[in-house]
Amino acid sequence: MKLSRAFAAAMLAIGIFSWVCSADEGKEARTLVEAAVKYYRGDASVSRVRMTIHRPDWEREMTIKAWTLGKKYSLFYITDPPKDEGNGTLKRGTDMWTYNPKVNRVIKLPPSMMSQAWMGSDFSNNDLAKSDSIIDDYDHRMVAEKSVDGKKVYVVESMPKPMAPVIWGMQKLHIREDHIMLRQEFYDEEMELVKAMTGEQIEMLGGKKFPRIWRMQKADVEGEYTQLEYLELEFKESLPQSLFTVSSLRNPGRM
Amino acid sequence: MILQMGWRNIWRNKRRTAVILTAVIIGVWSMIFLGALMRGFSDRMRQNGIATLTGHLQVHRAGFRNDPVIENRITSPAAVLDALEILPEGARWTPRIRVNAVAGNARHSAGITLVGIDPGREAAVSFIGDAVRQGRYLQQEDPLGIVVGEAFVRKFETRLGNKLVLMSQDANGEIASRAFRIVGIFDAELESTEKQFGFVHIAASRKMLGVGDDICEVAVLLPSHRQVEAAAESLRQRLPEDTYTVETWKDLLPIVRETLEIYDVFIFIWFLAVFIAMGFGLVNTILMAVFERIREFGLMRSLGMLPRLVVVEVLAESFFLLVLGMAAGNLIGLLSVWALSVNGIDLSAFSAGMEFAGMSRIIFPVLVARDIFTANATVFLMGLAVSLYPAVKAARINPVEAMARP
Repeated sequence: MKLSRAFAAAMLAIGIFSWVCSADEGKEARTLVEAAVKYYRGDASVSRVRMTIHRPDWEREMTIKAWTLGKKYSLFYITDPPKDEGNGTLKRGTDMWTYNPKVNRVIKLPPSMMSQAWMGSDFSNNDLAKSDSIIDDYDHRMVAEKSVDGKKVYVVESMPKPMAPVIWGMQKLHIREDHIMLRQEFYDEEMELVKAMTGEQIEMLGGKKFPRIWRMQKADVEGEYTQLEYLELEFKESLPQSLFTVSSLRNPGRM
Repeated sequence: MILQMGWRNIWRNKRRTAVILTAVIIGVWSMIFLGALMRGFSDRMRQNGIATLTGHLQVHRAGFRNDPVIENRITSPAAVLDALEILPEGARWTPRIRVNAVAGNARHSAGITLVGIDPGREAAVSFIGDAVRQGRYLQQEDPLGIVVGEAFVRKFETRLGNKLVLMSQDANGEIASRAFRIVGIFDAELESTEKQFGFVHIAASRKMLGVGDDICEVAVLLPSHRQVEAAAESLRQRLPEDTYTVETWKDLLPIVRETLEIYDVFIFIWFLAVFIAMGFGLVNTILMAVFERIREFGLMRSLGMLPRLVVVEVLAESFFLLVLGMAAGNLIGLLSVWALSVNGIDLSAFSAGMEFAGMSRIIFPVLVARDIFTANATVFLMGLAVSLYPAVKAARINPVEAMARP
């Protein structure tokens, strides 16, 4: 662990050097983004997350159990409150399904629902389904480097490729030198901030340093945010693919 | 001689004649003018309907109309396009891809109808060819361009040159998404049209949906709307019924069709209502004229005038009143229609309420020869018919009793 981080830091240092010397900035930034995405995702993970949807006049909390495998597969379901228990979402590649135990139906999300909010939060279904698009659909460029709490933080500007089907005009990523994503900002085409996700309270979680709290906040409305707080997080080497199927979406209690 | 008597008689009481003439004139004018307005409404509604991607005829794969998904596309367009050769001279047609899609940018997302068009052909068939107000229309090669409506741009807080991501279901049931740039902004009569449609090049939409050279529909515009039924029938014979449906605008726009039919009846009812009001006035006037002149009719009868001729004389009076009134009414009606046909009547203030039925913001009155004829024939024939009552009354006057009156 420590070794790999040192290695990565060394790689980064080499990268920064080459960025300064040559014009190979894009590749270097891309490597950093890939590393950051890989870092927060791990190979496979099992976690329990408390999601808080905060609005000026109300607040709602739910607890979600989540499994992820690589970048393709993930499965979430709600364990609490009892009213929503069993509601689940399965993601395979860019396809998503939801399951509602009350009507006992699995629905494959049609395109029309992909841009809707997931479970009423500030995350859209697309944020979940296309979370990898940050790597492939964008051209990355290192724009700044600052020091926070004695650690270097790189700021990467990611501009969507001309043909890429992404709605954002730009994303700005704040990545700490140990690959922790501190902040992800989403801009529209006028380069105005639309929403931003911030990672806070970095501590040891599942065997590595990880922000315990993730907060997605819309830029133009005060007091509205969705917060994810990791209650448990465990990184694994692998999980069986059979876990990420429609039938386990129906019966999440089995696991 | 009798006609001359009638003509002179109506001018004996000038005020009464002037009043009844005014009634006839206003009646005829209102029939012509309001008739023309209603025709203007309904014509515009039909034209709007046809220009808004309907055309006179459309060919679909059977089932597409009930379930307009990409699976119900026409998979062998060549067969359909071959069949179109039998269309009459001057007919224009265009192939389209048409699916429901979701358009999104950083702040908004909404469902739209994604229309993949052949820019050259489409311009000759539907409104989009000359509706682009900002930017440009689609070009022959335009893999990234999208043309959307003015109201849509406002709703999405976007502008020319910005990106729009469209998502829809592709041929394999997967989610297809593609980024387009807004190259043109169109204006339409109806705000709902501006919000509903996004136009892209047909090649771009085919590629996005992965459908090869397939199409969803063919729209046909004929030189005259009288040829619609015949053309539809001949196409139906060329295309197997279980695979393709050929529909006319009347099938495609049932609301417009029904509204037009209601208007036809409504115009006639209007004519009748106006006439009934006018008819009572006319009967009353003539009846008064007859009762005033009982001695006179008695004298004429005593001098040997036949009752038949008395009837003719009274009818002649009514005839002159009607003809004068109709002539003036028609003239004023035509003049007012002509005056309004330059600028039309701007209904923008109410347009939000009118849009449901596909009505325009500006109404231009339209004269239909049949309406003018119906209006005049109604007034003339029914006018004479109701005048028969006072005329017969005059003819039945007993000369002895009449002469005995003071």
